[in-house]
Amino acid sequence: MTRNWKIFIAILAAGVLIGLIGLRSLHRRMARLAQTEVTDEQARREVLAPPVSTPTDVPVKASIFWAGGPDGVAPVQIELPLSADPVQRSRQLLHALIADPPTPDQRTIPADTDLLGFYILPDGTAVADFSDALSTETPSGILSERMAVDSIARTLGSSVPGLRRLKILIHGQEEETLAGHIDLTGFFDLNQPGQQAVPSAPASAPSASPGAPPPKAPAANPVPSAQQTNPH
Amino acid sequence: MRTAIARRCISAILFVVRNILGVVALAFGISVVAPFAVAQAPAQQEPQGNQQQTPQAAPPLAQQTPLPSNQAPAPAGPVIVLNPAHGGTDTGARGQNAAMEKDLVLQMARGVKAELERQGFRVVMTRNDDSNPSYDDRAAMANAYSDAIFVSLHIASTGTAGTIRVYYDQLSTPYAPSNETAGTRAKAVPPAAAGLNSWNEAQRAYLNSSHRLADLIQIMLVQKFSGSPLTPLGAAVRDLRSVAGPAVAIELSSVSAPDPVALANSTVAPLEEAIAGAITSFRAGTPGGAKQ
Repeated sequence: MTRNWKIFIAILAAGVLIGLIGLRSLHRRMARLAQTEVTDEQARREVLAPPVSTPTDVPVKASIFWAGGPDGVAPVQIELPLSADPVQRSRQLLHALIADPPTPDQRTIPADTDLLGFYILPDGTAVADFSDALSTETPSGILSERMAVDSIARTLGSSVPGLRRLKILIHGQEEETLAGHIDLTGFFDLNQPGQQAVPSAPASAPSASPGAPPPKAPAANPVPSAQQTNPH
Repeated sequence: MRTAIARRCISAILFVVRNILGVVALAFGISVVAPFAVAQAPAQQEPQGNQQQTPQAAPPLAQQTPLPSNQAPAPAGPVIVLNPAHGGTDTGARGQNAAMEKDLVLQMARGVKAELERQGFRVVMTRNDDSNPSYDDRAAMANAYSDAIFVSLHIASTGTAGTIRVYYDQLSTPYAPSNETAGTRAKAVPPAAAGLNSWNEAQRAYLNSSHRLADLIQIMLVQKFSGSPLTPLGAAVRDLRSVAGPAVAIELSSVSAPDPVALANSTVAPLEEAIAGAITSFRAGTPGGAKQ
Protein backbone atom coordinates (compact mmCIF):
# COMPACT_ATOMS: atom_id res chain seq x y z
CA MET A 1 0.00 0.00 0.00
CA THR A 2 1.47 3.32 -1.04
CA ARG A 3 1.77 6.27 1.30
CA ASN A 4 -0.96 8.12 -0.58
CA TRP A 5 -3.44 5.29 -0.04
CA LYS A 6 -2.69 5.30 3.71
CA ILE A 7 -3.33 9.05 3.92
CA PHE A 8 -6.57 8.64 1.92
CA ILE A 9 -7.85 5.86 4.21
CA ALA A 10 -6.95 7.84 7.34
CA ILE A 11 -8.82 10.91 6.06
CA LEU A 12 -11.80 8.70 5.13
CA ALA A 13 -11.86 7.09 8.61
CA ALA A 14 -11.67 10.51 10.27
CA GLY A 15 -14.56 11.69 8.08
CA VAL A 16 -16.71 8.70 9.00
CA LEU A 17 -15.97 9.26 12.70
CA ILE A 18 -16.89 12.92 12.48
CA GLY A 19 -20.01 11.99 10.51
CA LEU A 20 -21.11 9.48 13.16
CA ILE A 21 -20.66 12.00 15.94
CA GLY A 22 -22.51 14.65 13.94
CA LEU A 23 -25.28 12.26 12.99
CA ARG A 24 -25.97 11.46 16.62
CA SER A 25 -26.21 15.09 17.61
CA LEU A 26 -28.32 15.80 14.50
CA HIS A 27 -30.73 13.05 15.51
CA ARG A 28 -30.99 14.50 19.02
CA ARG A 29 -31.72 17.97 17.64
CA MET A 30 -34.39 16.59 15.31
CA ALA A 31 -36.07 14.76 18.19
CA ARG A 32 -36.04 17.96 20.23
CA LEU A 33 -37.52 19.92 17.34
CA ALA A 34 -40.26 17.33 16.86
CA GLN A 35 -41.18 17.57 20.56
CA THR A 36 -41.35 21.34 20.62
CA GLU A 37 -43.19 21.81 17.37
CA VAL A 38 -45.41 24.83 17.87
CA THR A 39 -48.47 25.76 15.94
CA ASP A 40 -49.11 29.29 14.78
CA GLU A 41 -51.58 29.69 17.61
CA GLN A 42 -49.00 28.62 20.22
CA ALA A 43 -46.37 30.89 18.73
CA ARG A 44 -48.84 33.76 18.84
CA ARG A 45 -49.65 32.98 22.46
CA GLU A 46 -45.99 33.00 23.43
CA VAL A 47 -45.69 36.52 22.04
CA LEU A 48 -49.04 37.97 23.11
CA ALA A 49 -49.78 36.04 26.29
CA PRO A 50 -46.55 35.15 28.03
CA PRO A 51 -46.72 33.33 31.36
CA VAL A 52 -48.23 35.52 34.04
CA SER A 53 -45.71 36.91 36.51
CA THR A 54 -46.59 39.06 39.52
CA PRO A 55 -44.56 40.62 42.36
CA THR A 56 -46.24 38.30 44.88
CA ASP A 57 -45.24 35.09 43.09
CA VAL A 58 -44.02 32.37 45.45
CA PRO A 59 -42.91 28.90 44.33
CA VAL A 60 -45.67 26.51 45.39
CA LYS A 61 -46.29 22.83 44.78
CA ALA A 62 -49.59 22.90 42.95
CA SER A 63 -51.81 20.08 41.75
CA ILE A 64 -52.55 20.26 38.05
CA PHE A 65 -55.15 17.79 36.85
CA TRP A 66 -54.26 16.13 33.56
CA ALA A 67 -55.57 12.88 32.08
CA GLY A 68 -54.79 10.16 34.59
CA GLY A 69 -56.09 7.08 32.79
CA PRO A 70 -58.79 6.20 30.30
CA ASP A 71 -61.70 7.55 32.32
CA GLY A 72 -60.65 10.57 34.30
CA VAL A 73 -58.14 13.13 35.42
CA ALA A 74 -55.52 12.81 38.15
CA PRO A 75 -53.39 15.39 39.96
CA VAL A 76 -49.74 15.92 39.09
CA GLN A 77 -47.71 17.91 41.60
CA ILE A 78 -45.56 20.55 39.96
CA GLU A 79 -43.75 23.53 41.42
CA LEU A 80 -45.08 26.77 40.03
CA PRO A 81 -44.56 30.42 40.91
CA LEU A 82 -48.08 31.36 42.00
CA SER A 83 -49.44 34.78 42.80
CA ALA A 84 -51.25 35.71 46.01
CA ASP A 85 -53.94 37.38 43.89
CA PRO A 86 -56.58 34.72 43.12
CA VAL A 87 -57.25 35.98 39.60
CA GLN A 88 -53.59 35.97 38.62
CA ARG A 89 -53.07 32.67 40.43
CA SER A 90 -55.91 31.12 38.45
CA ARG A 91 -54.47 32.40 35.19
CA GLN A 92 -51.05 30.97 36.09
CA LEU A 93 -52.58 27.58 36.89
CA LEU A 94 -54.64 27.47 33.68
CA HIS A 95 -51.61 28.54 31.67
CA ALA A 96 -49.67 25.59 33.12
CA LEU A 97 -52.60 23.25 32.48
CA ILE A 98 -52.74 24.23 28.82
CA ALA A 99 -49.05 24.59 28.07
CA ASP A 100 -47.17 22.02 30.17
CA PRO A 101 -48.77 18.54 30.17
CA PRO A 102 -46.12 15.96 31.18
CA THR A 103 -46.83 13.88 28.06
CA PRO A 104 -48.98 14.50 24.97
CA ASP A 105 -51.31 11.67 26.06
CA GLN A 106 -52.09 13.51 29.29
CA ARG A 107 -53.25 16.64 27.53
CA THR A 108 -56.87 17.53 28.27
CA ILE A 109 -57.06 21.02 26.77
CA PRO A 110 -56.09 21.65 23.12
CA ALA A 111 -52.66 23.25 22.82
CA ASP A 112 -54.03 26.14 20.80
CA THR A 113 -56.46 27.18 23.52
CA ASP A 114 -56.03 30.68 24.91
CA LEU A 115 -57.39 31.95 28.18
CA LEU A 116 -58.92 35.22 26.98
CA GLY A 117 -60.18 36.42 30.33
CA PHE A 118 -60.62 35.36 33.91
CA TYR A 119 -62.80 37.02 36.51
CA ILE A 120 -63.87 36.28 40.06
CA LEU A 121 -67.18 37.63 41.27
CA PRO A 122 -67.83 38.55 44.91
CA ASP A 123 -69.81 35.37 45.57
CA GLY A 124 -66.86 33.15 44.59
CA THR A 125 -68.00 32.49 41.03
CA ALA A 126 -65.06 32.18 38.66
CA VAL A 127 -65.65 33.01 35.01
CA ALA A 128 -63.10 31.60 32.60
CA ASP A 129 -63.31 32.82 29.03
CA PHE A 130 -61.44 30.62 26.54
CA SER A 131 -60.73 31.03 22.85
CA ASP A 132 -62.70 29.11 20.23
CA ALA A 133 -60.01 26.43 20.11
CA LEU A 134 -61.34 24.92 23.34
CA SER A 135 -64.63 24.22 21.61
CA THR A 136 -63.45 23.44 18.10
CA GLU A 137 -60.35 21.37 18.90
CA THR A 138 -61.48 19.33 21.90
CA PRO A 139 -62.27 15.88 20.51
CA SER A 140 -66.04 15.46 20.35
CA GLY A 141 -67.36 13.00 22.91
CA ILE A 142 -68.62 12.82 26.48
CA LEU A 143 -65.37 11.22 27.63
CA SER A 144 -62.98 13.84 26.25
CA GLU A 145 -65.21 16.83 27.01
CA ARG A 146 -65.76 15.65 30.57
CA MET A 147 -62.00 15.36 31.04
CA ALA A 148 -61.45 18.87 29.68
CA VAL A 149 -63.99 20.43 32.05
CA ASP A 150 -62.85 18.35 35.03
CA SER A 151 -59.22 19.26 34.50
CA ILE A 152 -60.06 22.98 34.53
CA ALA A 153 -62.46 22.79 37.46
CA ARG A 154 -60.36 20.55 39.66
CA THR A 155 -57.11 22.42 38.98
CA LEU A 156 -58.76 25.67 40.06
CA GLY A 157 -60.65 24.06 42.94
CA SER A 158 -57.56 22.51 44.44
CA SER A 159 -55.24 25.52 44.32
CA VAL A 160 -57.34 28.69 44.46
CA PRO A 161 -59.01 29.17 47.82
CA GLY A 162 -62.37 30.91 47.92
CA LEU A 163 -63.69 29.76 44.56
CA ARG A 164 -67.12 28.16 44.76
CA ARG A 165 -68.21 27.54 41.21
CA LEU A 166 -67.00 27.97 37.66
CA LYS A 167 -68.60 29.30 34.51
CA ILE A 168 -66.92 28.50 31.21
CA LEU A 169 -67.39 30.90 28.31
CA ILE A 170 -66.14 30.44 24.76
CA HIS A 171 -64.90 33.66 23.21
CA GLY A 172 -67.04 35.70 25.55
CA GLN A 173 -70.24 33.81 24.87
CA GLU A 174 -72.18 31.13 26.68
CA GLU A 175 -72.19 27.98 24.55
CA GLU A 176 -74.78 25.24 24.97
CA THR A 177 -72.13 22.51 24.95
CA LEU A 178 -68.36 22.26 24.87
CA ALA A 179 -68.08 20.16 21.69
CA GLY A 180 -71.57 18.70 21.36
CA HIS A 181 -71.98 16.83 24.64
CA ILE A 182 -71.04 18.47 27.94
CA ASP A 183 -73.44 21.18 29.07
CA LEU A 184 -71.83 24.60 29.47
CA THR A 185 -75.00 26.52 30.28
CA GLY A 186 -74.66 25.87 33.99
CA PHE A 187 -71.98 26.36 36.60
CA PHE A 188 -69.50 23.76 37.81
CA ASP A 189 -69.14 23.43 41.55
CA LEU A 190 -65.59 23.63 42.83
CA ASN A 191 -63.83 22.54 46.00
CA GLN A 192 -65.53 19.20 46.34
CA PRO A 193 -62.70 16.86 47.32
CA GLY A 194 -62.88 13.47 45.68
CA GLN A 195 -65.67 14.39 43.33
CA GLN A 196 -65.80 15.29 39.70
CA ALA A 197 -66.81 18.81 38.88
CA VAL A 198 -70.55 18.96 38.75
CA PRO A 199 -72.75 21.53 37.07
CA SER A 200 -75.10 23.73 39.04
CA ALA A 201 -78.39 25.09 37.95
CA PRO A 202 -78.23 26.56 34.48
CA ALA A 203 -78.75 30.25 34.25
CA SER A 204 -78.70 32.79 31.53
CA ALA A 205 -75.06 33.66 31.48
CA PRO A 206 -73.73 37.03 30.63
CA SER A 207 -71.55 37.45 27.63
CA ALA A 208 -68.15 38.96 27.72
CA SER A 209 -65.60 39.82 25.17
CA PRO A 210 -61.95 40.62 25.48
CA GLY A 211 -61.64 44.16 26.57
CA ALA A 212 -65.24 44.38 27.69
CA PRO A 213 -66.30 44.82 31.30
CA PRO A 214 -66.35 41.57 33.24
CA PRO A 215 -69.60 39.64 33.12
CA LYS A 216 -72.01 39.54 36.02
CA ALA A 217 -73.31 36.30 37.42
CA PRO A 218 -77.07 36.23 37.70
CA ALA A 219 -76.93 35.58 41.42
CA ALA A 220 -74.17 37.99 42.17
CA ASN A 221 -74.05 41.46 43.45
CA PRO A 222 -73.79 43.53 40.30
CA VAL A 223 -71.27 45.93 41.83
CA PRO A 224 -67.81 45.06 40.47
CA SER A 225 -65.26 44.14 43.08
CA ALA A 226 -61.56 44.66 43.33
CA GLN A 227 -61.06 41.02 42.44
CA GLN A 228 -62.41 41.52 38.96
CA THR A 229 -59.69 42.25 36.50
CA ASN A 230 -59.48 42.44 32.81
CA PRO A 231 -56.33 40.77 31.61
CA HIS A 232 -56.33 42.61 28.31
CA MET B 1 -125.30 8.30 36.18
CA ARG B 2 -124.20 10.03 39.38
CA THR B 3 -120.74 8.47 39.02
CA ALA B 4 -120.43 9.82 35.52
CA ILE B 5 -121.38 13.31 36.67
CA ALA B 6 -118.90 13.09 39.55
CA ARG B 7 -116.14 12.01 37.16
CA ARG B 8 -116.90 14.92 34.84
CA CYS B 9 -116.80 17.33 37.78
CA ILE B 10 -113.43 15.97 38.93
CA SER B 11 -111.93 16.23 35.47
CA ALA B 12 -113.27 19.77 35.13
CA ILE B 13 -111.68 20.71 38.47
CA LEU B 14 -108.38 19.10 37.46
CA PHE B 15 -108.49 20.99 34.16
CA VAL B 16 -109.01 24.30 35.95
CA VAL B 17 -106.23 23.57 38.48
CA ARG B 18 -103.78 22.64 35.73
CA ASN B 19 -104.51 25.83 33.83
CA ILE B 20 -104.13 27.96 36.95
CA LEU B 21 -100.75 26.32 37.65
CA GLY B 22 -99.75 26.96 34.04
CA VAL B 23 -100.64 30.64 34.33
CA VAL B 24 -98.74 30.91 37.63
CA ALA B 25 -95.73 29.25 36.06
CA LEU B 26 -95.87 31.59 33.09
CA ALA B 27 -96.09 34.57 35.42
CA PHE B 28 -92.89 33.42 37.11
CA GLY B 29 -91.23 32.81 33.77
CA ILE B 30 -90.68 29.10 34.43
CA SER B 31 -90.84 26.51 31.72
CA VAL B 32 -92.55 23.59 33.36
CA VAL B 33 -93.21 19.95 33.01
CA ALA B 34 -96.86 19.54 33.84
CA PRO B 35 -96.95 17.70 37.15
CA PHE B 36 -100.11 15.79 36.42
CA ALA B 37 -98.86 14.73 33.03
CA VAL B 38 -95.31 13.69 33.83
CA ALA B 39 -93.99 14.09 37.31
CA GLN B 40 -96.71 12.61 39.47
CA ALA B 41 -98.73 10.39 37.19
CA PRO B 42 -96.51 7.30 37.40
CA ALA B 43 -96.93 7.10 41.15
CA GLN B 44 -100.56 6.25 40.65
CA GLN B 45 -100.47 4.74 37.18
CA GLU B 46 -98.95 1.32 37.44
CA PRO B 47 -99.49 -0.44 34.11
CA GLN B 48 -101.97 -3.26 34.49
CA GLY B 49 -101.96 -6.33 32.33
CA ASN B 50 -102.24 -5.58 28.67
CA GLN B 51 -103.32 -2.03 29.16
CA GLN B 52 -101.56 0.15 26.59
CA GLN B 53 -99.97 3.30 27.85
CA THR B 54 -100.86 6.36 25.94
CA PRO B 55 -98.76 9.48 25.67
CA GLN B 56 -99.92 12.25 27.98
CA ALA B 57 -99.19 14.85 25.38
CA ALA B 58 -98.74 14.78 21.63
CA PRO B 59 -95.14 13.98 20.68
CA PRO B 60 -93.62 17.09 19.20
CA LEU B 61 -91.96 15.63 16.14
CA ALA B 62 -93.43 14.22 13.00
CA GLN B 63 -90.67 11.63 12.64
CA GLN B 64 -91.61 9.84 15.84
CA THR B 65 -91.86 6.13 15.26
CA PRO B 66 -95.44 4.89 15.62
CA LEU B 67 -96.07 2.61 18.55
CA PRO B 68 -96.08 -1.06 17.65
CA SER B 69 -99.66 -2.25 17.55
CA ASN B 70 -99.49 -5.68 15.98
CA GLN B 71 -97.62 -7.47 18.72
CA ALA B 72 -99.34 -10.05 20.84
CA PRO B 73 -99.47 -9.83 23.73
CA ALA B 74 -99.35 -6.05 23.84
CA PRO B 75 -96.17 -5.07 25.64
CA ALA B 76 -96.36 -3.73 29.15
CA GLY B 77 -93.72 -1.76 30.99
CA PRO B 78 -91.94 1.41 30.14
CA VAL B 79 -91.45 3.01 26.77
CA ILE B 80 -87.76 2.98 25.89
CA VAL B 81 -86.87 6.21 24.14
CA LEU B 82 -83.71 5.61 22.11
CA ASN B 83 -81.87 8.79 21.22
CA PRO B 84 -79.35 8.50 18.40
CA ALA B 85 -77.35 11.64 19.15
CA HIS B 86 -76.53 14.41 16.69
CA GLY B 87 -77.87 14.36 13.10
CA GLY B 88 -78.16 16.75 10.18
CA THR B 89 -75.32 19.24 10.10
CA ASP B 90 -74.21 18.12 13.55
CA THR B 91 -72.05 15.16 12.64
CA GLY B 92 -70.70 14.44 16.11
CA ALA B 93 -67.34 12.69 16.27
CA ARG B 94 -65.63 11.98 12.94
CA GLY B 95 -63.30 9.09 12.27
CA GLN B 96 -61.53 7.31 9.49
CA ASN B 97 -63.15 6.66 6.11
CA ALA B 98 -65.51 9.59 6.70
CA ALA B 99 -67.24 7.67 9.50
CA MET B 100 -69.52 10.00 11.41
CA GLU B 101 -71.01 9.53 14.85
CA LYS B 102 -74.47 10.66 13.69
CA ASP B 103 -74.70 7.83 11.13
CA LEU B 104 -73.18 5.15 13.33
CA VAL B 105 -75.45 5.83 16.29
CA LEU B 106 -78.52 5.85 14.04
CA GLN B 107 -77.49 2.48 12.66
CA MET B 108 -76.91 1.18 16.20
CA ALA B 109 -80.22 2.56 17.44
CA ARG B 110 -82.17 0.91 14.61
CA GLY B 111 -80.58 -2.44 15.39
CA VAL B 112 -81.14 -2.13 19.13
CA LYS B 113 -84.75 -1.02 18.56
CA ALA B 114 -85.53 -4.06 16.41
CA GLU B 115 -84.02 -6.42 18.98
CA LEU B 116 -85.80 -4.80 21.91
CA GLU B 117 -89.15 -4.87 20.11
CA ARG B 118 -88.61 -8.54 19.35
CA GLN B 119 -88.39 -9.04 23.11
CA GLY B 120 -91.66 -7.20 23.63
CA PHE B 121 -90.38 -3.79 24.70
CA ARG B 122 -92.00 -0.66 23.39
CA VAL B 123 -89.37 1.50 21.73
CA VAL B 124 -89.51 5.01 20.31
CA MET B 125 -86.65 6.75 18.51
CA THR B 126 -86.08 10.48 18.72
CA ARG B 127 -84.98 10.48 15.09
CA ASN B 128 -85.10 7.87 12.37
CA ASP B 129 -83.35 9.80 9.62
CA ASP B 130 -80.66 12.42 9.20
CA SER B 131 -82.64 15.09 11.02
CA ASN B 132 -81.36 16.89 14.11
CA PRO B 133 -84.14 17.56 16.63
CA SER B 134 -83.17 20.00 19.36
CA TYR B 135 -82.20 18.73 22.80
CA ASP B 136 -85.54 19.95 24.13
CA ASP B 137 -87.52 18.24 21.35
CA ARG B 138 -85.80 14.97 22.15
CA ALA B 139 -86.46 15.37 25.86
CA ALA B 140 -90.07 16.31 25.12
CA MET B 141 -90.58 13.00 23.33
CA ALA B 142 -89.59 11.13 26.49
CA ASN B 143 -91.53 13.49 28.74
CA ALA B 144 -94.69 12.86 26.73
CA TYR B 145 -94.89 9.37 28.23
CA SER B 146 -95.74 8.72 31.83
CA ASP B 147 -93.30 5.81 32.11
CA ALA B 148 -90.39 6.36 29.76
CA ILE B 149 -86.73 5.41 30.01
CA PHE B 150 -84.41 7.59 27.96
CA VAL B 151 -81.27 6.01 26.48
CA SER B 152 -78.98 8.26 24.48
CA LEU B 153 -76.43 6.61 22.19
CA HIS B 154 -73.04 8.13 21.38
CA ILE B 155 -69.69 7.18 19.90
CA ALA B 156 -66.62 8.95 21.27
CA SER B 157 -63.59 10.32 19.47
CA THR B 158 -61.29 8.94 22.13
CA GLY B 159 -60.88 5.94 24.42
CA THR B 160 -59.76 2.39 23.84
CA ALA B 161 -61.61 0.89 20.88
CA GLY B 162 -64.33 -1.51 21.96
CA THR B 163 -64.80 -0.11 25.47
CA ILE B 164 -68.10 1.42 26.48
CA ARG B 165 -69.17 3.84 29.19
CA VAL B 166 -72.54 4.65 30.67
CA TYR B 167 -73.19 8.17 31.98
CA TYR B 168 -75.84 9.57 34.25
CA ASP B 169 -76.50 13.28 34.55
CA GLN B 170 -74.57 14.92 37.32
CA LEU B 171 -76.30 17.92 38.77
CA SER B 172 -75.13 19.56 41.94
CA THR B 173 -77.24 20.51 44.91
CA PRO B 174 -78.89 23.87 44.38
CA TYR B 175 -76.44 26.72 44.62
CA ALA B 176 -76.50 28.39 48.01
CA PRO B 177 -75.66 32.07 47.63
CA SER B 178 -73.54 33.80 50.23
CA ASN B 179 -75.27 35.97 52.81
CA GLU B 180 -74.56 39.26 51.12
CA THR B 181 -76.06 38.11 47.81
CA ALA B 182 -78.92 36.05 49.14
CA GLY B 183 -81.36 38.92 48.89
CA THR B 184 -80.42 39.68 45.32
CA ARG B 185 -80.83 36.07 44.27
CA ALA B 186 -84.14 35.71 46.04
CA LYS B 187 -85.50 38.56 43.99
CA ALA B 188 -83.92 37.44 40.74
CA VAL B 189 -84.92 33.78 40.82
CA PRO B 190 -88.33 33.08 42.32
CA PRO B 191 -88.78 29.54 43.61
CA ALA B 192 -90.69 27.15 41.39
CA ALA B 193 -94.24 26.40 42.42
CA ALA B 194 -94.62 23.26 44.47
CA GLY B 195 -95.05 20.14 42.34
CA LEU B 196 -93.65 21.77 39.23
CA ASN B 197 -90.28 20.89 37.74
CA SER B 198 -88.20 23.42 35.93
CA TRP B 199 -87.76 22.23 32.36
CA ASN B 200 -84.04 23.05 32.51
CA GLU B 201 -83.59 20.80 35.52
CA ALA B 202 -86.24 18.16 34.89
CA GLN B 203 -83.66 15.43 35.40
CA ARG B 204 -82.93 16.57 38.96
CA ALA B 205 -85.88 14.63 40.41
CA TYR B 206 -84.65 11.42 38.74
CA LEU B 207 -80.93 11.51 39.49
CA ASN B 208 -81.07 8.51 41.82
CA SER B 209 -83.07 6.32 39.47
CA SER B 210 -80.89 7.34 36.52
CA HIS B 211 -77.78 6.49 38.54
CA ARG B 212 -79.26 3.10 39.46
CA LEU B 213 -80.18 2.35 35.86
CA ALA B 214 -76.69 3.40 34.71
CA ASP B 215 -75.18 1.06 37.32
CA LEU B 216 -77.21 -1.85 36.01
CA ILE B 217 -76.43 -1.20 32.34
CA GLN B 218 -72.70 -0.71 33.02
CA ILE B 219 -72.55 -3.97 35.00
CA MET B 220 -74.15 -5.79 32.07
CA LEU B 221 -71.92 -4.09 29.51
CA VAL B 222 -68.64 -4.67 31.30
CA GLN B 223 -69.17 -8.41 30.89
CA LYS B 224 -69.43 -8.00 27.13
CA PHE B 225 -66.94 -5.18 26.50
CA SER B 226 -63.72 -5.96 28.34
CA GLY B 227 -61.69 -2.98 29.43
CA SER B 228 -64.78 -0.91 30.14
CA PRO B 229 -65.08 0.71 33.56
CA LEU B 230 -66.91 -1.24 36.26
CA THR B 231 -69.08 1.66 37.29
CA PRO B 232 -70.90 4.37 35.33
CA LEU B 233 -69.64 7.93 35.26
CA GLY B 234 -71.42 11.14 36.16
CA ALA B 235 -71.23 14.01 33.69
CA ALA B 236 -73.18 17.09 32.69
CA VAL B 237 -74.52 15.48 29.53
CA ARG B 238 -76.74 17.99 27.76
CA ASP B 239 -79.00 15.28 26.28
CA LEU B 240 -80.17 14.21 29.72
CA ARG B 241 -80.80 17.48 31.52
CA SER B 242 -84.42 18.05 30.55
CA VAL B 243 -85.64 14.47 30.66
CA ALA B 244 -88.24 13.91 33.37
CA GLY B 245 -87.50 10.25 33.94
CA PRO B 246 -84.64 7.78 34.23
CA ALA B 247 -82.10 8.77 31.60
CA VAL B 248 -78.64 7.53 30.67
CA ALA B 249 -76.15 8.09 27.89
CA ILE B 250 -74.13 5.20 26.51
CA GLU B 251 -70.91 6.04 24.67
CA LEU B 252 -68.90 3.54 22.67
CA SER B 253 -65.20 4.11 22.01
CA SER B 254 -64.43 5.04 19.43
CA VAL B 255 -65.00 6.45 16.02
CA SER B 256 -61.19 6.32 15.61
CA ALA B 257 -61.23 2.50 15.56
CA PRO B 258 -59.83 0.93 12.36
CA ASP B 259 -63.31 -0.03 11.20
CA PRO B 260 -65.89 1.97 13.17
CA VAL B 261 -68.80 0.70 11.06
CA ALA B 262 -68.01 -2.92 11.91
CA LEU B 263 -67.49 -1.94 15.53
CA ALA B 264 -70.90 -0.26 15.68
CA ASN B 265 -72.55 -3.28 14.03
CA SER B 266 -70.93 -5.72 16.44
CA THR B 267 -72.16 -3.62 19.37
CA VAL B 268 -75.86 -3.92 18.59
CA ALA B 269 -76.57 -7.38 20.01
CA PRO B 270 -74.64 -7.03 23.32
CA LEU B 271 -75.98 -3.52 23.75
CA GLU B 272 -79.56 -4.68 23.29
CA GLU B 273 -79.03 -7.55 25.75
CA ALA B 274 -77.52 -5.17 28.31
CA ILE B 275 -80.31 -2.61 27.96
CA ALA B 276 -83.05 -5.24 28.10
CA GLY B 277 -81.50 -7.02 31.10
CA ALA B 278 -80.83 -3.80 32.98
CA ILE B 279 -84.33 -2.44 32.39
CA THR B 280 -85.88 -5.71 33.54
CA SER B 281 -83.82 -5.59 36.75
CA PHE B 282 -84.53 -1.89 37.12
CA ARG B 283 -88.27 -2.49 36.80
CA ALA B 284 -88.11 -5.27 39.37
CA GLY B 285 -86.68 -2.74 41.81
CA THR B 286 -89.24 -0.06 40.95
CA PRO B 287 -92.66 -1.69 40.96
CA GLY B 288 -94.38 1.70 40.82
CA GLY B 289 -93.02 2.51 37.38
CA ALA B 290 -89.76 3.68 35.89
CA LYS B 291 -90.13 7.17 37.25
CA GLN B 292 -90.04 6.07 40.87
